[in-house]
Amino acid sequence: MFKTYSSALPQSLSRGLVGATRQTPTPFIQFVRGKRTKKYDLSPAAQKLITQLSVLSASRKQPKMLKLCPEDFVKHNTVQEAYKLITRKRKKAENEKLKQQYESMKLACEDLSKVSPELFEAANKREVSKRFSLELRVPTNYPPNVPWYYDYTPESPEDKK
Amino acid sequence: MFNRAIRNFSSSPTAHKVGCSIVKPVHHRVKIDKTKLSPKYPELKLSPNDIRSPKFVPRYTHQDRVQEYYENTLKPDLLLINYVHGQKTVPGNKRRQWDLTSPYHINRPPRVPRGERVPTPDIKPRTYKNIPGLTKITLSCFVKEAKLNSSLAIPATLQLQQITGVKPTPIYAKTNVPTWKLRPGMKMGAKVALEGREMSQFLSTLTELVLPRIREFKGISNRSGDRFGTISFGLEPESIKFFPEIEANQDLWPRTFGIDVQFHTSSQVDMDARILLSGLGIPFTGTERIPKDLLNDH
Amino acid sequence: MIVPRLSARYMSSGPIKSSLMLSRIPIVTRALNPFEKEYFNYQAELERRLMRTFPQYYYFKKGTLAERKFLDIQNGVISKQPNVWYPKGIPDVKHGRDRRFKQNILIPGEEANKNDEKNLSRPIEVNARVTEADKTNNMSSLNRKLSHTLYLIVKEKDQWKFPSFNLESQSLHTAAEKGLVDLGGNQIKIWTVSNTPAAVIKYCEGELVAPTYESPDERIERHYIIKSHIVAGSFQPMNIEYKWVTNDEAASFFDNSYFQQVRHLLANF
Repeated sequence: MFKTYSSALPQSLSRGLVGATRQTPTPFIQFVRGKRTKKYDLSPAAQKLITQLSVLSASRKQPKMLKLCPEDFVKHNTVQEAYKLITRKRKKAENEKLKQQYESMKLACEDLSKVSPELFEAANKREVSKRFSLELRVPTNYPPNVPWYYDYTPESPEDKK
Repeated sequence: MFNRAIRNFSSSPTAHKVGCSIVKPVHHRVKIDKTKLSPKYPELKLSPNDIRSPKFVPRYTHQDRVQEYYENTLKPDLLLINYVHGQKTVPGNKRRQWDLTSPYHINRPPRVPRGERVPTPDIKPRTYKNIPGLTKITLSCFVKEAKLNSSLAIPATLQLQQITGVKPTPIYAKTNVPTWKLRPGMKMGAKVALEGREMSQFLSTLTELVLPRIREFKGISNRSGDRFGTISFGLEPESIKFFPEIEANQDLWPRTFGIDVQFHTSSQVDMDARILLSGLGIPFTGTERIPKDLLNDH
Repeated sequence: MIVPRLSARYMSSGPIKSSLMLSRIPIVTRALNPFEKEYFNYQAELERRLMRTFPQYYYFKKGTLAERKFLDIQNGVISKQPNVWYPKGIPDVKHGRDRRFKQNILIPGEEANKNDEKNLSRPIEVNARVTEADKTNNMSSLNRKLSHTLYLIVKEKDQWKFPSFNLESQSLHTAAEKGLVDLGGNQIKIWTVSNTPAAVIKYCEGELVAPTYESPDERIERHYIIKSHIVAGSFQPMNIEYKWVTNDEAASFFDNSYFQQVRHLLANF
């Protein structure tokens, strides 16, 4: 049922392999209809390489192409357009929000610069090598066993934050 | 009188005929894809997004948690972190004009930039339009021993495919170094570029499974970068064994290959890229070096 | 030591305060709406149908026990035989997969290891996305609404708003951090996003005015909002009411005018 792959392998995949010793088939073979009777003996290393190459290649592993009837084709396109529309609206709203955040931040800085130059300088000072806290993790599909770590105690006076 | 005796095929008057072609010659300037003109392979002429095309692959198959976290939490924070009030454009090193002291300077191509061969871009002020984001991750696996044993490129290629789920393309040697027996054109390994969903998936496995398990891993060097927003680091062959696809089939991998990982971001400078990557869960170590003209831009 | 000197032009300006927008980022991914669920399901099924055949010969070597166990579990595929009528179409089988359909691979070993607690191959038991705090709607808990961003709001003079603190010759962000610890104890760990203020909220004679309002004659009290994330611990104040609310709930607690001024700062979910 599940035949060895190497015997059905096209020549191209084993071309140029170092160490692939291929013996010619034995002169007298009993022909059997429907069965592959020729057997090639390859070194295990070469066999391994051929298997790896075949995993990378799509030959004999590609399914049949999808053939949709006209109604299904229209349905598919409608669904795709709906998703694109939703995404477009969402992105537009998000961009608009970011623009508003930028404008309000700019206004706050402008206001602060007029009111208090010292505070403005401290606020506008670039924090060199600013890094996000590694404890702010990317959300997962399900919560961890302890969703929120309540038992925090500062180690030293500097660690109050 | 005699004109009427000569029967022409066209009906336009002879006086209006031009002696040469009046069609503008654009055939040598317009790129014509002849495969599109041929009646063969009609499915290949369709866009890859069309379901009738053989290239069709569904793109959005599940929720991308990294991308959603970036858009909801990181982006507004990055806007706030990178903002400097009164920031000015930092001009890059550009090609210089000749000073016209000689008449030959007219129409001469501009001079090379001062000190460098390649011009550098202008660094514009950070606004809501240019918030840094992760655009691509490139994995590259160059196997030194493949110069003697050319079949080593194959397990390297397969390793990249297993880790990422994307088909890699081969890498060929470019330089000729006789002492290392390296000749151009030899197949030396593979590379793969990840975008979108595949990129988020790889980033998640890297930050949550692989990097925490590497012993004595403090982080990516703070000095790493190409000055304009690409941060890279290397993974040892022993660390590759921590990828779940390799870990589950240990007996299939007697030898794993080290890879070079490059994070391509849309940030203009390295320091912004590092802040972004730290938000995505990548630790950094060592002292950072920031060019003075980037610090004095306001 | 920073002594906030007021420039001559705004001599009559009121006090400057630092307001803190403390948020707990989502712990769990956003819940999908019904269309998204259906769409992703459809696209995933399409991907499975168009996916390459599983290279079983690579993962399960021929003749091994693992291969035998694997094959025993799989459902067989109808093969093409001569002189047989196939009412549902002639099968096209390559590498044990009918090319017309999606391939269904059953993974061996999960059912058997369910009860063994130490076995690493046992199926993963996921934790619930809805917690105790969700069920009781405990608004002072940080375990509530794990898929949303929670914001700290306090009741000042019968009005819900973000906590604000006086500047004691400090910069805005240090005043916000210190003020929070003074108000809610030091059993809290926060990470300030930036020293740059996200917005300014102006009060003229106790009334909220627009951020662009400028008047050299009147006293304007300014609150500069500093953004920050809580990383661990909790807010435990002595004598002030507080809540952790999502962006939608904040709308019901804030005054409409205050909410309109801060709504663009709140996260999408």
